[in-house]
Parts: sequence; structure tokens; C-alpha cells
Amino acid sequence: MAKKKKILGIICERSVDLKKHIQNNKLKEKENVAVVEMICSGMIQPIMIEEAFKSGAEGVFVMGCQIGDCHFREGNKWCQDRLLGLRPPNIKKTIDKNKIRGFWLAKCDYKKFMEKVNKFEHDLNNLPVSETTKPAEAKV
Amino acid sequence: MYKKILDKLQVLTISFEKWLNKVFSQQYNPFYYHGAVPNLFMWTLFITGLLLFAYFQPTLDSAYISVNYISNKIPFGSVVRGMHRYSADAMMIAVLIHAIRVYFTDRYRKYRWIAWYSGVALILCMLVIGITGYVLVWDERSYMIVLMMTDALKQIPVIGFPLAELFVNGKVITHYTMAMSFFLHVGISFFLFYLLWLHYLRISRPVTDVPLGLGLLLTATIVIPSALIPVVSGKPAVLTQTPQEFPLDWFYLWIFPLFSGMPALIVWTALFIGVAVLLAVPYLITDEPKSPAIVSLSNCVGCTLCAKDCPYEAIYMVPRTDHPKFKQLAIVIDSRCAECGLCVGACAFKAIDLPQEHSKEIIAKIGDVLKEPAGVGT
Repeated sequence: MAKKKKILGIICERSVDLKKHIQNNKLKEKENVAVVEMICSGMIQPIMIEEAFKSGAEGVFVMGCQIGDCHFREGNKWCQDRLLGLRPPNIKKTIDKNKIRGFWLAKCDYKKFMEKVNKFEHDLNNLPVSETTKPAEAKV
Repeated sequence: MYKKILDKLQVLTISFEKWLNKVFSQQYNPFYYHGAVPNLFMWTLFITGLLLFAYFQPTLDSAYISVNYISNKIPFGSVVRGMHRYSADAMMIAVLIHAIRVYFTDRYRKYRWIAWYSGVALILCMLVIGITGYVLVWDERSYMIVLMMTDALKQIPVIGFPLAELFVNGKVITHYTMAMSFFLHVGISFFLFYLLWLHYLRISRPVTDVPLGLGLLLTATIVIPSALIPVVSGKPAVLTQTPQEFPLDWFYLWIFPLFSGMPALIVWTALFIGVAVLLAVPYLITDEPKSPAIVSLSNCVGCTLCAKDCPYEAIYMVPRTDHPKFKQLAIVIDSRCAECGLCVGACAFKAIDLPQEHSKEIIAKIGDVLKEPAGVGT
């Protein structure tokens, strides 16, 4: 494998504390994982996820606090529902849902977070190449 | 310094809850229903209170007898009485846990001030309800409570004597004293509803119910002790004999040992300062000012999604006439806005945004972050 998959994490600043683990908007441990912090996972618009894929991300994960415990009461629930397609606005159907993940972790869950990121990367690498993501077309 | 301690406490709370998640699972974690649990106990208190109400006679002569009648003669009377007592204690514990959790996790200030203030009022009301409740049994402890309370109230300058007379309902203890305690006990209980309305006022979809499984578990923790360790009255109160000691309920009657230990005026002052500190707590930390969400008039299509998603009832839909197609417009009530951005997440039309963290900027940032040469290598 020549190149690691580009992954973007859109994360809630109140979930896993990444302050010490980020440099230049990237995870120190995994340089192929870029991270954008937000006030709450509930603020994540489907457009943002779509934008990430447009800008060349090969996988996007969203991270919020543990379900049941949101500083703003319902943000992570709404976000989770949107990822599952249960709550409008929906993510475009043309986007492969296998390339989107939601992690729901508490502030002190850094270890678990890394496990999930690694698992996600592993899953991405093993995704069957579908019609829409043929390398030739993806280049355009 | 203060902020750092709070941060540590927050991590501590979250770690504890993570551990509880392993025991109860995420769905039934009582800490995720910390507001609903006191509510469950409150309803238990209301229902059992209603049942006790049917047989209780609020006079000096018959209060003690009627309470014992409930305990000994009415089927399950003893259990209902026990439930009333034990869920009162459980409610106080649950309320304190609720308050402490809210404090530790930084969810008590700014746009939440009204919930904090009404919460302080609710706890004070609970104390009055609890103390007057212990009077109703009219055993030695009840008599002692009335005597000590009257003395203590009299120590308050200016309003002390009228207050004491109000509490005793006259200059000496009579049947009307019992009537007054009964009135305060039941009347203030209903006042709780008004305070709870304030408590929920700015919260959309407040979580007021625990899941069935958890509810049954918590009810069992009340019912089983009530059946196994029945609540019993002490010796009947005799007005000519002043009792010396009484068993203490640390959740409601903690003020009486203080009264016996030091001048009442000091206790009242401490209580007053304590409440003042509680009311000041939300304003001890200040953050940099942010600004509430702003609706873009030209982009809003009136789809109501943001109003539905707002967790603080800060967004309302109003009719609009300036647009040929769209009939509604979202309006943000600034004082309620938590600046959380949930409405931004709900909007597919770029019509609502936080000025300090505009979705456009975030989208631009996502583009920038991904453009940088990332992860080349093996």
C-alpha cells in the first residue's frame, strides 16, 4: 500500500479530549487523519460531510459525546439520527454510507477513540471498490 | 484554579458514569436520567400522600391515632406510609445528585440560570415540606420540631414573631397548629408544580420519565424497605412533657441539631448566606461573550427543522408575508439561545448560523485541512 486513506474527523470539542494529540489539525499518531473541531456534534450539517468527500476525503467519521450525555442535551442524538437517515436533513444518497462512521465517546476515552479510528481505517481499506469510486473516475 | 477543579470534577463524573454504563448499560444508566429520577420519587410521594390523605385526621387528638390506624389497620397502610417516608429521603438524595452532577458538568449557568434558580427554590420548598411532614405524625419528635422551630423562628429580627405565630397558627399549640402544618405540607407540595414549570420552562422535551426497567428497579428499592422495615411513630406527644431527644432524618431535619448547638440567628444567617452563594454560583465563571444564532432572511424557507431541533425552545416560527413562496420564518429568542449550533446542523439551506463559528468557515476549514498533503508513505 503506497498511500494511506485520507480520513477526516468532524468532532465535538466536548467529547474525547484531543488537544494534546493534535498538531496542525492532524492526529499526531496518525497523520492521515485530519480533524475539525466543533461546538457540538449536533451542529454538523450533512453538507459538511459531503464537502469533506468533495475535498478528497476517503472516509469521514463524526464524533460526539456518549449518547445520553450531551452538554446541549440533544446534539449527539440528532447527529446520530442524521447519520442513520432518520432525521432530516439527510446525507446525499450518492455517498457510500460505509465511508461514514459515528463515534460516541466521552472526554477520557482517547484509547477507545484510537481503536475505533484504526478499525475504521481497516474497514475502509477492505471496502470493495464500487462503481462510483473506481480510481479512474475518482481522479476527475 | 476554580475552573481547573471543575474540569477535574467533570472528568471524574464522566468516568463514574462510564463505569455505571457497564453496570446498567447506556440505556438504563440512572445518571443519564438524573432529572427524571427525582420526578419518579415525587410522583410516588404524591400518590402515596393521596392515599394517606384519605385516612389522616389533622388534629392534635387524632393525628397520632389516625397515623397508627393507617399503619396497623389499613391493608398495606404500613407499606404506603413507608413508601411515603422512604421516597422522601430518596427524592432528596436524587435531587442532590442531580444538582451536584449539573454543577460538576458545567450545566447550571448562562442560559440555564432559570433552571438553577428554580432548583434552589425547589430544594428549599422540599425542606419545608419535609419538616412539616414530620410534624403530622404528632409523636414526641413532632412536638420537639414545633417547639424548636418556633423558638428558632422567633430569633429572626422583625419578621420572626409573625412567622412563628404563622407556623404555630396562634400563640400556643392548638389543633390549628396541626391544620397549618398539614396545609403547608400539602399546599407547598402543589407549589412544586409551579416551580417545576419554571424548571422546565426553557427546555424542549424535558426528560421527565425514566425507562420502565429503571423505574421498576427504583420503585422496588422503595417498596422493599417499606415492607421489611416499617416506619413507626415514636411515643405520642404530650403537651405537658418536653421530650429531650428524637431520632433524626438527616435529609430534612439536619437544621435541628444546628439549632440546639448554636444560637438560631447564626443558623439562619448561615442558611441565608448559603442560599445567596448558591444563587451567585452561576455567575462565578464568565466566558468571553458570544452571540446567539442569526437567521438569514433571504435563505430561510420556513421548514421548521431548526425550531424542532432546538433543545432550549429558543426558536419560534412566525408567519411572514414578504416572500411569495415561503409562509414562515424562524425567529431566535436571544436570551434563550445556548449558542450550541444544533439549529445550524438542522438547516439544509444555510439560513441559520452562529456568527462566531459560521458554517461557511467550517466548510472552508474542512476543505483546507484536506487539501494539505496528508499521510504520504507506507
